[in-house]
Amino acid sequence: MPEIDDNQLVQRVAQGDERAFLALYDCYIGRVHALTLRILGEPMLAEEATQDTFLKLWSRAREYQPERGLLLPWLLIIARRTALDRLRLEGRRPILSNAEDPADAWQTIPDADSLSEEHRWRSMYFAVQALSPEHRQVIELAYYQGLSQSEIAKELGWPLGTVKTRLRSAMELLRQEWAQGKRSSPVDKRNR
Amino acid sequence: MTYYEHLPFRENIPAYALGALDAEEAAALEAHLQTCASCRDELAAYRTTSENLLMTLPPQLPSAALRKRLQRRLPSAQKAARPRWNLSFSRVAVGIAIVLLLALNVFSISEVRALQRQQTQLINQMQNGQMALAMLSYSKTQTFPISSNNVKGSLLLDKEYNNAVLILRGLPPITNNQTYQIWLISSNGDRTSAGLLRPQTDQPFISEAINSPQALSNFIGVGMTVEPAGGSDHPTGLQIFRINF
Repeated sequence: MPEIDDNQLVQRVAQGDERAFLALYDCYIGRVHALTLRILGEPMLAEEATQDTFLKLWSRAREYQPERGLLLPWLLIIARRTALDRLRLEGRRPILSNAEDPADAWQTIPDADSLSEEHRWRSMYFAVQALSPEHRQVIELAYYQGLSQSEIAKELGWPLGTVKTRLRSAMELLRQEWAQGKRSSPVDKRNR
Repeated sequence: MTYYEHLPFRENIPAYALGALDAEEAAALEAHLQTCASCRDELAAYRTTSENLLMTLPPQLPSAALRKRLQRRLPSAQKAARPRWNLSFSRVAVGIAIVLLLALNVFSISEVRALQRQQTQLINQMQNGQMALAMLSYSKTQTFPISSNNVKGSLLLDKEYNNAVLILRGLPPITNNQTYQIWLISSNGDRTSAGLLRPQTDQPFISEAINSPQALSNFIGVGMTVEPAGGSDHPTGLQIFRINF
């Protein structure tokens, strides 16, 4: 869906247009639900978190500011926080700060230009899969389970310094991959 | 700030971008970021990396029921679930007609009841009048004149058959929450209620039979007072008349 359509749809959602809301749901439900399912693991819990995410979109649509970023990252950050909150409610994970406030998502959204090409996101997927199991493990526990470094160390039984080193190097690898992906075309990436 | 002083903060930036830094270290880094532009740039780059992780998952569709559940949570569905009040002209007209019919019904019932009360009073008056006529034709009936202010009339008394009728005119008007009460007077001064009287104002004469709980020969007189509606146990209000017999 073109960006301009997203902006118009969100504006209409902010005015109470339910058809616009359902159009956005149909467009992004797969992405949002993939994330909540990845975090929560159980389909029913994930569906509740997905539903809560879209209800926040419905009630807080007027807080979306297109000049600050694309709709999908904004929505996914809300989805991540909603799902991690559900983990906390289940007694498994600590709460995130300002997790209920969609406006806070702006602080962590990258600029729109950096996220405009979906093929690069896919290249990130393969980059994550290409990480060593140890590196991938710390990334997943931190990002999809909301664990801090010390919690990861406790969870895995690793020294805290090891967790810090592996997390830092994993992020550096992904960062390099992202920078390299921006310089290469999709065809180039697939041929590498 | 030297390189070595700067290094601990810089090393924590990737974890901070992931939200994985422990609270104490996060607070220290945030304070450092306020004054360090190069670390802010570094953080922006890692944030881009971390948030891109959001997009790496292949889409997964939930059950179709989720869309329906979500639709039910929207205002239009909730409005539909509530009863709607469509005030069309025809519904308003039907409503007004029903209210008018109900009001007419209530009015008719109250009118019928008023007529029934009037009918009962007229029957009583007629019976009292017939009783008075019968007593006047009877030789042993005693007649006692009543004259007290503007109230005039007679007491017809037949101690043998224990009958008595009051015939009165010129009773002063009373309010809706008042009534006339008839008293039989004993030789020791006790008063015994002998009935309540609430005459129609458009009748010049009224006749009222006295309901004595005992033989009239046990009493020495009769009187009338104004009492609160429903009557009193003993006289409390204005005396209309009193006669001895």
